[in-house]
Amino acid sequence: MTGVSKTSPLSRAAKWFDPRARTISTIGFILNRITALGLSFYLFLHLIMLGQLAQGPQAYDGFLATVHSPIFVFGEVLVIAAGFIHGLNGIRIALNSFGVGARYQKATFLVLLSIAVICSLIFAVRIFTV
Amino acid sequence: MSTPKWVVTFQIYRKKGNADPHFDEFKLEVSPDEYVLDGIERVWAFHDRSLAFRHACHHSTCGACGMRVNGAEKLTCITLIRDVTQDGGVLRIEPMRNFPVVSDLAVDMGILYTRMEMVEHQPVNSDAKEAIQPEARPAGPVGEEEDYIRLSDCIECGLCISACPISGSSPEYLGPAVLAGAHQHGIKGNEQLLKLVDSEDGVWRCHSAFECTAVCPSFVEPGWRIMDLRKQVIGERFKRLFRGSSPKIIDTMEASK
Amino acid sequence: MSKPKVIIIGAGFTGVATAHDLALRGFDVVVVERGEIASGTSGRTHGVLHSGGRYAVSDQESAVECIDENMILRKIVPQVIEPNGGLFIAIDESDLAYAEEFIEGCNACHIPIQELTARQALEMEPNLNPKVLAAFTVPDGTFDPLRLALSFAASARKNGARFRTYTEMEQLIIDGQGNVTGVKVWDRTTDTHEEIYADLVVNATGAWVGEIASHAGAHVPIKPTPGVMVAFDQRLVQRVINRLNKPGDGDIVLPQRRMMVVGTTSFEVTDLDYVPVVEDQVKIMLERGEELVPGIRKTNVRGAYMATRPLIGGGSTGRSIARTFKCFDHKETDNIDGLVTITGGKATTLRAMAEKTADVVCQKMGVQAVCTTKEVPLLSYRDYYLQNN
Ligand SMILES: Cc1cc2nc3c(=O)[nH]c(=O)nc-3n(C[C@H](O)[C@H](O)[C@H](O)COP(=O)(O)OP(=O)(O)OC[C@H]3O[C@@H](n4cnc5c(N)ncnc54)[C@H](O)[C@@H]3O)c2cc1C
Ligand code: SF4
Ligand code: FES
Repeated sequence: MTGVSKTSPLSRAAKWFDPRARTISTIGFILNRITALGLSFYLFLHLIMLGQLAQGPQAYDGFLATVHSPIFVFGEVLVIAAGFIHGLNGIRIALNSFGVGARYQKATFLVLLSIAVICSLIFAVRIFTV
Repeated sequence: MSTPKWVVTFQIYRKKGNADPHFDEFKLEVSPDEYVLDGIERVWAFHDRSLAFRHACHHSTCGACGMRVNGAEKLTCITLIRDVTQDGGVLRIEPMRNFPVVSDLAVDMGILYTRMEMVEHQPVNSDAKEAIQPEARPAGPVGEEEDYIRLSDCIECGLCISACPISGSSPEYLGPAVLAGAHQHGIKGNEQLLKLVDSEDGVWRCHSAFECTAVCPSFVEPGWRIMDLRKQVIGERFKRLFRGSSPKIIDTMEASK
Repeated sequence: MSKPKVIIIGAGFTGVATAHDLALRGFDVVVVERGEIASGTSGRTHGVLHSGGRYAVSDQESAVECIDENMILRKIVPQVIEPNGGLFIAIDESDLAYAEEFIEGCNACHIPIQELTARQALEMEPNLNPKVLAAFTVPDGTFDPLRLALSFAASARKNGARFRTYTEMEQLIIDGQGNVTGVKVWDRTTDTHEEIYADLVVNATGAWVGEIASHAGAHVPIKPTPGVMVAFDQRLVQRVINRLNKPGDGDIVLPQRRMMVVGTTSFEVTDLDYVPVVEDQVKIMLERGEELVPGIRKTNVRGAYMATRPLIGGGSTGRSIARTFKCFDHKETDNIDGLVTITGGKATTLRAMAEKTADVVCQKMGVQAVCTTKEVPLLSYRDYYLQNN
């Protein structure tokens, strides 16, 4: 058997992120992969940060300073956006799996993505202005 | 003839035996209203007799001619050159993904056919109404005594499997056409089929990229069918929860009805 | 005891059916095909399982072959057939005038027909031309070309036949006496050449039989005659619709899956490997097709394609043998032993062609074995691939 099993699983999975010649549905698929990886990474970071707290008040102050730097705030916006995208997209997929609206999944995706973008923007504006 | 000719460069994937694959280029004069497969057949007839490719019916009923044209899965016998390139343009022709390459553009469809047999997909369908999706139903009024027999819509071309990102990363995944086949056969009361579908490599492996539905030339809508199968599988599980889990009991209950 | 070995060149309908028959009769069979199974004419037919009605007036020998084989195929390979029947319909006076001959012809060829009123015909097929004047039902059907061929190939394989696809016959191997003892082939998947020897070579290359036989200096009177077909993206009829008249251009509309196919025309060519779809022919054909099913005008073309009939042209007697088939033992026709050619016929008569050929092969090789293909159900076409794994 040539072609199918020769490549490693990782390089095969890398093809997930290639949107060339694919449709809007793949954008949804890719966004869900990326946000899932992003959120998992964030969770990991989050736990490390929490671990820092246990090291005493000084560490905690230093930590707060970093967290308020613009880069971190921007990262926070990304996390929120990822949460919205992944969550809303997940609702679409869950509904589809119960046989609801699978025929209209493209339209549903576009509507939910728009909602996710709008919510993220509102959040971004608020977080940068307060 | 009436339409002016175009010059199109066919970039064709080549592979012979164990030699490394490469691309060959052929510049062809074509009519934009010819099909991509016509161009490929001409390359074989007049330029390179060693070119291997699958084809038979030339009108979208056999499912042999699936390939990737500029990256996208196409049934090349019904894909107009006009729709995929322009005068002076390029057509990059590659074999389908996720199938072993026999040579050049020809792939081994064995996996798909084996799995279609596994899910008991019927090549002919006597319940024609069910086989045709509402939006794809023939224009003619449908009579009462509609007992004609139809060949199934799925032409087993494999395009959906080539386009599916999950089939690419998990070769064990049954794949869209196969799950659609199980859906058409029906899982009700079919313990074995239910088990196959309700498994790691069955409906739950799908991650909703819906590329299968996008590339299917036959309007089988595998994406929708997989979702509908999930609904059915969940329904079956619920039923079992309340009826007790032994399939034997269910069998006798069905039988006594 | 080793089995007698036969090489079959060509895996169109004729080749695969012959492989099935010979494998059942205990031969060691190797099929060499330069493309995929059914990549020649066979894959590209309309796919009408002929009742014989089309030939009942002009060519009764073919008509009888068709109706007999039609009934057999329904029985042995139902999984690739839409057995929905057909209609012959009259649209104008000249069609009506043909009706009498048609009825006589069908009776003579035991083709079961039933006369319908125009009203009944329209009830059965609402999309027919409302101007229909009369109609007859016939037991036509539709088949999927590739899958019909694969079913025979799968069954042949089960009985030991080997299929070498993408393997082109380059030369016939000829011994000192001018007799054929094997073939020299080119495997296009590996780009290698080899020689295969056998007790007998069967030339089943359809329209290409003349070219192949000429390698041994033998002659086959073949007249390759292509025709154009067009597929549409809707299924406006559920049965095969024929024009009640002598066979002509665009006089068949048939359903297949969710499509409709209109056929066909007839012209002559010299280069067989690539015959272009001629636009003018498509146009004429559509105009004629619309006379049967006017709705065609409003549906979209899904594909236009063509295929080349292997018609047997006037032999030495000058008598044209229309649509029937013929098996040539080149020992008798050209004094060349080891080569048998089978051609002509129709997809519908593939099994009968194979039976005839296998009879000739058995007789030549002194093998006593009867034909059983009329009764043996064929395997699922999928088995052809299943046996790979
Ligand atoms: C337009 C049209 C419509 C038709 N419609 C119908 C219909 O509706 N119903 C019906 O019953 N019949 C129909 N027919 C008739 C029927 O299709 C043919 O009679 C039949 O397909 C012939 O099959 P075959 O195996 O003899 O030839 P082919 O299918 O042509 O097989 C010959 C094979 O030999 C191979 N070959 C050639 N040279 C070599 C070589 N050097 N080495 C190896 N292999 C080689 C070719 O690749 C090819 O696959 C139609 C024919 C035409 C033209
Ligand atoms: S479901 Fe559609 S794309 Fe997939 S094999 Fe069947 S016809 Fe082809
Ligand atoms: S050649 Fe049969 S589907 Fe394209």
